[in-house]
Amino acid sequence: MSDTTVTPTKTITVQGLLQSTGIGLALFLLIVFFSLSSEHFLTSGNISNILTQITINLILGVGMTFVILIGGIDLSVGSVLAFSSVVAGKVMTMTGLGDGTVIVFAVMAGLGTGMLCGLMNGAISAWWGLPSFIITLGMLNIARGGALHVAEARTIYSFPYAFEEFGSISFFGIPILFLLALLLVLLAWLILNFTVFGRMVYGIGNNEEAVRLAGHNVFRYKVGAFAICGTCAGLGALAYMARLNIASPIAGIAFELDAIAAVIIGGTSLAGGRGSVIGTLMGAFIIGVLANGLILMGLNDFMRQMITGLVIIVAVIVDYYRAKYANV
Amino acid sequence: MQSVTQLIPDLLCVSDLKKHFGGVKALDGVDLNVRQGEVHALVGENGAGKSTLIKVLTGIHMPTDGQISFAGKPFDAGSPHASKDVGIQVVHQEFNLLEHLSIAENISIEDLPTSRWGLLNRTEMRSRAVVAIAAVGLDGVNVNRPVSSLGIAHRQLIEIARSLQSDSKLLILDEPTATLTEREKVKLFKIIQNVKEQGVSVLFVSHHLDEVFQICDRVTVFRNGKTVITQDIDQTSPSEVVSHMVGRHVDHTDASAAQAVPFGPIALRTKELKTIANRSEQGVSIAVQSGEILGIAGLVGAGRTEFLRAIFAADKSNGGTVYIKEKQVKFRGPRDAIDAGIGFVTEDRKDEGLILQMPISMNISMVNLKKLFRTGLIRHFAEHHQAVKYGDNLQMKYGKTADAAASLSGGNQQKIVLAKWLASKPAVLLLDEPTRGVDVGAKFEIYGILRALAAEGVAMIVVSSELPELMTLSDRIAVMADHKISGVLTRSEYSEERILQLAYGQTVEQRVAQ
Amino acid sequence: MKFMKLAAVAATSLMVLTTSVSADEERPVVGLVMKSLANEFFQNMLVGAQAHAEKRGDYDLIAVGMQNETDFESQINAVNNFITQGVDAIVLAPADSRAMVRPLKRAMEAGITVINFDVALDTEAKEQQGVELAFVGPDNREGAKMAGDALAAALPSGAKVVIIEGNPGADNATQRRLGFEDSIAQAGLTLLDSRTAYWETEEANSVFANMLTANPDIQGVMAANDSMAIGVVQALSSAGRDDILVVGFDNVPAAAQLVKEGKLLATVDQFGTEMAANAIDMAIDVVQGAPELEGWVRTPIELVTQ
Repeated sequence: MSDTTVTPTKTITVQGLLQSTGIGLALFLLIVFFSLSSEHFLTSGNISNILTQITINLILGVGMTFVILIGGIDLSVGSVLAFSSVVAGKVMTMTGLGDGTVIVFAVMAGLGTGMLCGLMNGAISAWWGLPSFIITLGMLNIARGGALHVAEARTIYSFPYAFEEFGSISFFGIPILFLLALLLVLLAWLILNFTVFGRMVYGIGNNEEAVRLAGHNVFRYKVGAFAICGTCAGLGALAYMARLNIASPIAGIAFELDAIAAVIIGGTSLAGGRGSVIGTLMGAFIIGVLANGLILMGLNDFMRQMITGLVIIVAVIVDYYRAKYANV
Repeated sequence: MQSVTQLIPDLLCVSDLKKHFGGVKALDGVDLNVRQGEVHALVGENGAGKSTLIKVLTGIHMPTDGQISFAGKPFDAGSPHASKDVGIQVVHQEFNLLEHLSIAENISIEDLPTSRWGLLNRTEMRSRAVVAIAAVGLDGVNVNRPVSSLGIAHRQLIEIARSLQSDSKLLILDEPTATLTEREKVKLFKIIQNVKEQGVSVLFVSHHLDEVFQICDRVTVFRNGKTVITQDIDQTSPSEVVSHMVGRHVDHTDASAAQAVPFGPIALRTKELKTIANRSEQGVSIAVQSGEILGIAGLVGAGRTEFLRAIFAADKSNGGTVYIKEKQVKFRGPRDAIDAGIGFVTEDRKDEGLILQMPISMNISMVNLKKLFRTGLIRHFAEHHQAVKYGDNLQMKYGKTADAAASLSGGNQQKIVLAKWLASKPAVLLLDEPTRGVDVGAKFEIYGILRALAAEGVAMIVVSSELPELMTLSDRIAVMADHKISGVLTRSEYSEERILQLAYGQTVEQRVAQ
Repeated sequence: MKFMKLAAVAATSLMVLTTSVSADEERPVVGLVMKSLANEFFQNMLVGAQAHAEKRGDYDLIAVGMQNETDFESQINAVNNFITQGVDAIVLAPADSRAMVRPLKRAMEAGITVINFDVALDTEAKEQQGVELAFVGPDNREGAKMAGDALAAALPSGAKVVIIEGNPGADNATQRRLGFEDSIAQAGLTLLDSRTAYWETEEANSVFANMLTANPDIQGVMAANDSMAIGVVQALSSAGRDDILVVGFDNVPAAAQLVKEGKLLATVDQFGTEMAANAIDMAIDVVQGAPELEGWVRTPIELVTQ
């Protein structure tokens, strides 16, 4: 399960192994360190907390992995999450329909909104060959404005009881929302390694022209990657709603940065073409464990922020050397 | 006359200069003497060693052996500053201009004038630039314009202006007319004349013999890293120069057990196909039969690569028709071309042919991936199996199919590219420089593979800059010059001399006729 | 103006919302500068002000909001525009209590009546610039103390509490923290930890869950706004803890609901909807000849409990 190169399962390379263990090792050391410095760290309650807290970032990170692998970036996921959440929230608080119907419609509306935003991101940047950085920056504003407009800048609450309950289910202390995110990771891993689509995602990230000349429709795959990223933002919105029982137009500010950080810490190259969702899973864990552990240690807010920033920089430096020695 | 020239010592003396890259002898003992105030032409086929010599003179490469003296003093080759300091200036084939900076800034970029406070002295910079570009006949052009706003010919002139403004003794022009129109050429030749009158020597490197005969005093011919001869222009003729470039005895090591099987029906035909780079009225019309290898010769810039890309619809074309099996087709992109049974081995392996970081097996399945896995789900074992099969067929040397393509040698990388196209079972294969960067052994293996494919009935169009390669492989050779077919030669007709004459265009023929 | 409105809404950066600006010379024109309209509190305030303008009908209102809480540059631009337009009064909720002093001084020098509401300008900065300007607004510190006192009353003496703070550096965040600390000191509670969750629900949910792990013996939580209080309540329900009491601030509808359900002990209403309207009333009075306001005109605050 743990390879971070483009190499498929059967052919785990030494480099791939080193890469994944590198990031896994960092996570392991972090866990050991926090376990020693706080008695509460390795309690089931706290583990459950960490899993809850990384869920949204993990979901966004999975989508972001696709976009970064094709050599793009999506800065809009935080805003798209807010937009999807208020659209879903509006549907979910509609009266006159049964709870079940409303929930199904709301889920579809949330995912649909996200996917639509992603489709727009991808179609515009791929069709005109524009940098996704700037297109998604535009979408960041559009989606945020849309969210505020739809919600009239108000928090939406009072969802059907069944939905609110669903968000708090857990199995042996493992929150159901995290399990769903894990399922998403698995699905993404299968797509990236065992489908033509996934192969093209890696191919485009490495050498778009070669893929085009091999007769593939680069446009379609690029749009696909962005659509997946947008859909993940919609899914993140539903997770947000299930966890907090509100939908907020100001939710998700700067979430895109955490998602990008998770992807990059996980060893995916910002230049595209190299990386995996397993890495993103690790990256999300590192960010979550760090945020949790530093609070348990009693570090103040500002120190905490500084250390988190430092870890991101160190992770990228490590990635630089890894890339340098891996691609000889 | 003779006695006068001997009084003035030669400005540049290169004797027995060698430059080896590993086992490749790019320069294998060349001699070159350039006199003060002369325009000296340096000609030779691709790979004859012209560029390598320029790189040694400008300090990009250290020579392996040999002596150079400049203006009577030993010349410290191999350091960029040394050559600038003694007064050697080069105008390269690739531009070294900074596109987003102004003309003035580009002119002075090597030595920016500063004021007392260390700030940029713009007034000085502008006045320098005005003088410099006036010298190349660009007076009246606003020096504050960014270079990116200029056409390609003007850029070339700016580049020349930059080289001229510093005190140069030797000006090296590497293919300076490649991008110029007729009018600008005239302008350039006037500039060269001026420079010469000021006592500056010019080394003029060109493919265009008509230009050489128009403005040069003497000509030196390189072949295979050696100097063949240096002659006064008025004592030679273009056809003599061509024969020196080619060499009297062309090796006829025909690996051609050619045409064991008769050719099949016409597999691909183009009618007046015009590439976007082609600004003339005429397009290219050729036909290739199943089992036939059609070679395309021509100079760099003759439009050969563009022609292949137009057939494959890798680029849009500017009119004309393509027929597959005599049926007209309209490709919207490479996908359509592939579906119609065309494969395209591109010139540039690293940027277009391979995904270097990806495993060999994934590279080989890149084209037929969708056919191989119609459900959209990839079975890695089947993919591995395919790679092994084609690897064996092409005698590819590799470790595991999961190794990155980048880990193989040039020849084996090229075999991956071939394998990926063969996996799509093409009826027509377009090949652009199929053995570039491939060592000699692998080269002949590739020739063998292509011959075998022909025997199986695959039609091929091969573009190559190596004439021996084309003559070995091809059943016919079409020669292109300036985006047009200037002649088609059958096997019995071709010689390097004939091909080069066609490649250099009509002018040579006319001169010969005179 | 209409075009500006469209453009501004499209850009979502600066929102200019107007009711009709008529050419009538007699009617005073009031420029209202608010903070982020993405914030429910200011959104309500805007709605309140617009309803008020319609109801009174004897003045013209030009309302301006911003993209985010700290975007004081847009506020400066808005004030400058109002000076150019020659409005009669500017009613402003400053995004930065220091940076806004100078542009307001210019407005006053231009003969415009200025009312500072919601957040007070910095006293020191006012003195430095030689500006005398009254403040119309709630006492955030007093309000926080009311919420804190409500929590203290429900807890035994010495009970352990934590504070969830607003944006570090925001004036109202500081005032509310001080108010919470006042009531902690007065009631003899024990403060275990105090952290910021940047006014945000999800952040508060995560931060508080982690604080709870570190200090399982927490008995009470003081959140500097309701959004964060909602996140805290949700964290408590996930942890299955119904023994911990929470107070919030702002009385947003979602929180009011929680108060009704008994999940939130108390919140504080500072009547945001009326706040701008009241400030506008005062501004018009001054424009029409009433004496200038002085010092701190406190607006009502009220504790909301079940």
